Amino acid sequence: MGKYILRRILWLGLVLLAVSFITFSLMHLVPGGPWDREKELAPQIVENLNIKYGLDKPFYEQYINYVWNALHGDLGVSYKYQDRSVTEIIGTGLPITATLGVIAFILALVIGIPLGMAAALKQNSVIDYVAVVFSTVFASIPGFVLGILLVIIFSVWLHWLPTSGWGDWRQIIMPAFSLAALPAAYTARITRASMLEVVRQDYIRTARAKGLSERIILSRHTLRNALIPVVTVAGPELAFLIAGSFIIENIFSIPGVGRLFVQGVFARDYGLIMGTILFYAFAVAIINLIVDIMYGWIDPRIRYD
Amino acid sequence: MFNLFYRAKKEVTEPETSSRQHHTLWGDAWVRLRRNKLAVLGGSIILLLALAAIFAPLYLKYDFATQNYDAILVGPSTEHLLGTDELGRDVFSRLIYGARTSLAVGLFTQLVVLMVGLPIGAIAAAAGGRVDNLLMRFVDIMYAFPDILLIILLRAIFGGSIFMIFLAIGLVAWVGIARLVRGQILSVKQRDFVAAARAMGGSGAYVTLRHLLPNSLGPIIVAITFNIPRAIFAEAALSYIGIGVRPPTPSWGTMIADGNNVIYAAPYLVIFPAIAIAILMLSFTFLGDGLRDALDPRLRR
Amino acid sequence: MTKLLEVKNLVTHFVTQDGIVQAVNGVSFEVNQGEIVALVGESGCGKTVSSLSVLQLIPQPPGKIVDGKVIFAGMDLLKKSKEEMQKIRGSRISMIFQEPMTSLNPVLTIGRQLTEGLQFHLKLDKKEATRQAVELLKSVGIPHAEGRLNDYPHHFSGGMRQRVMIAMALACEPQLVIADEPTTAVDVTIQAQLLDLIRNLTLRLNTALIIITHNLGVVARYAQRVYVMYAGQIMEQGTAIDVYHNPLHPYTAGLLGSVPRLDEPRRTRLQPIDGQPPDLIAPPQGCPFAPRCVYVKPECKLKRLPLVEINSGHFTACLVAQEGALPWKKILSLK
Repeated sequence: MGKYILRRILWLGLVLLAVSFITFSLMHLVPGGPWDREKELAPQIVENLNIKYGLDKPFYEQYINYVWNALHGDLGVSYKYQDRSVTEIIGTGLPITATLGVIAFILALVIGIPLGMAAALKQNSVIDYVAVVFSTVFASIPGFVLGILLVIIFSVWLHWLPTSGWGDWRQIIMPAFSLAALPAAYTARITRASMLEVVRQDYIRTARAKGLSERIILSRHTLRNALIPVVTVAGPELAFLIAGSFIIENIFSIPGVGRLFVQGVFARDYGLIMGTILFYAFAVAIINLIVDIMYGWIDPRIRYD
Repeated sequence: MFNLFYRAKKEVTEPETSSRQHHTLWGDAWVRLRRNKLAVLGGSIILLLALAAIFAPLYLKYDFATQNYDAILVGPSTEHLLGTDELGRDVFSRLIYGARTSLAVGLFTQLVVLMVGLPIGAIAAAAGGRVDNLLMRFVDIMYAFPDILLIILLRAIFGGSIFMIFLAIGLVAWVGIARLVRGQILSVKQRDFVAAARAMGGSGAYVTLRHLLPNSLGPIIVAITFNIPRAIFAEAALSYIGIGVRPPTPSWGTMIADGNNVIYAAPYLVIFPAIAIAILMLSFTFLGDGLRDALDPRLRR
Repeated sequence: MTKLLEVKNLVTHFVTQDGIVQAVNGVSFEVNQGEIVALVGESGCGKTVSSLSVLQLIPQPPGKIVDGKVIFAGMDLLKKSKEEMQKIRGSRISMIFQEPMTSLNPVLTIGRQLTEGLQFHLKLDKKEATRQAVELLKSVGIPHAEGRLNDYPHHFSGGMRQRVMIAMALACEPQLVIADEPTTAVDVTIQAQLLDLIRNLTLRLNTALIIITHNLGVVARYAQRVYVMYAGQIMEQGTAIDVYHNPLHPYTAGLLGSVPRLDEPRRTRLQPIDGQPPDLIAPPQGCPFAPRCVYVKPECKLKRLPLVEINSGHFTACLVAQEGALPWKKILSLK
């Protein structure tokens, strides 16, 4: 198992390197420089700034410097907020994005898994129908459409919830639900399909032939097998939540990493853009690694020995 | 052989019904697709919207860009079916013209996806070995990118017209198709290898391509159909943030962004495009589900 | 001999898209305490469905036990509630299934799957249950039993998994064990071992055993009495010796004739039975075997033939036999 983790971490490093290189190159293709503002700066000032930030050095040197610094935790300085480092800026946004992501993730599981289970256990009943409709509809409606409709219903019409901001628990409800809708739908769908499949298996019949109660058959025999595919998709779902949160953050004016990213793009803030993309790539890869390890723990047939 | 018997028996004992067995994959799939009510619904909506969008100038009273300061923020009425926005523009026509944008983005991005993804996947599968390894590692790296963010970045780089949007979205979305094509060709490669070995040497690639198409086209079509709503969403998201299509070209995403400013006064400005996006995406999803079931060779009788 | 299980006129149907499948169409059999009884017949004849019906393990949406009585130790099982059946399954009547590769839960250890029955039915604590589980594994011949408790099913071969299944079935010392083709999916070399194991263990515990099989060799060697089934009905029943040496039904004769025998000259051809079993959605009116039967008479197709006792304990549903003729014996060269 240890060797497997090591290999994955090495691969992670390689991927991050590649991601950073591609991003770095792409950014240098963006027309206009980082100093384009409303008012044009004098060429002398631009030149000084470039020297200060090492932008006059050749491409490869810039890149290697960047990677070296990044490995030490220094992701450079923000070009827009010149007195703040990128790491610090991301640091302010990270807990917010993470909180939102985790809450949405928990919501998705809490809604999706029971719904899928109930649908599978009572096939062709009302709840099955509801679950299927729910998962089809919410799997196709993008989060931001849902977010907007929620805002209309709960803020504009009912005046129950605030439209934006972060800090009060009421401000978390709509963004969390908008974000959670799609993963919840997927989770419900997969849980249902998986349960239906497991319930048909021979070993469930054996358990029943042993006279065990339905409760034990469900909890000990059925669920443990049925949830394996759910865990498999949990990783990409969480990754999706972290990456996809950016648009929800924009709608609800939540100061998370996603919003920072968009602002950075508009401001041509190279440092911030690089930093956020790397952060996302890293987060996604780590999550997938954790999920893969957990998968081995849950399914004894796949122990990487 | 069995089909002949079956048909003959039906003709003798029953009047012919429309549910005849079809010999070809496509004929059979078409029948099955037609029976799937959701898929038919989705497909009809898409068709309707497409026709409405194409023939828009013929029947729409108002243009999508004409501003009318005498009729600002008018709610839905007989004059303006869905009301007007903050600049007096007719919402209904903006919605219809916006459909053009969405549908165009949905479709043309897939062209880019196919032009990039298909060859890469095919080459990886056909060449095998180190080339395959290299290409797939590259695909894995592309997968590690959070796609929306990359799209935004590419968009910032390319700037410009809607064609650049096709490019930006397409250049991120090709990875799925590449993997799919590679998988399909690899599986066909296994199967036909024996037959090909028996055939007089002959260009293996040519034979594979001729047998490849009927079987693997199915999953590719389904994948593309599911890709389209994702592209539509990407465009709407880009426009919502402000780096999508340039005004005055209407886009549902822009409409939502603009409408957000007056959301308390005129929520309908946001509701209509939001629902439009949802319905269009749902329609493609239903169609995709239907296609997937219809083209599934395992379900053939 | 006390009667342990008495199945009377069991009728089980399955509702399918194409119609109602009459899988078990009026089957009666009985098992005495400590006895070994065989249910024989080809695939699809209803032997598995009959045994599943006894334990009410038939999935109820498509399946339905339509009629009949299943009297076990004085109680009609078909009238029992779900909870009452749960108490009986696994502790008084247990089952061994055919497929060892898929019949064990892949994510639970063997130990857990053994102890859960002991804990649930016998209310043993974990320590005691574990101890007994080790003993059980030893009794079915699994080496290094203590260590293997924490292994998972995929660490065992097919034959060993079947041994575990046997252990699980006997864990609570049931009064009746139903073994549904326990060796069909296992290597030939292991088959005899497993069957010997089952027989020895059940004899030791004085547990009755129903062996379901299509293999006549198994019947000959292990069963005391045998029921021959075809198309959801019983064709012949009697002691194994009687049925073997004096088959009173052409189907039984056909089964016997299609088995290669060591005591016959090598050039003798195997004689398979022509034709296919009938469609159970629309079974024929009279004797179900009539369409394939060489000795068929017009009366055979009229109505369902009841089982008639010819010799003591030896019954047949064949009209021809009931009228005294046994024309198939010549072909089988039986004395």
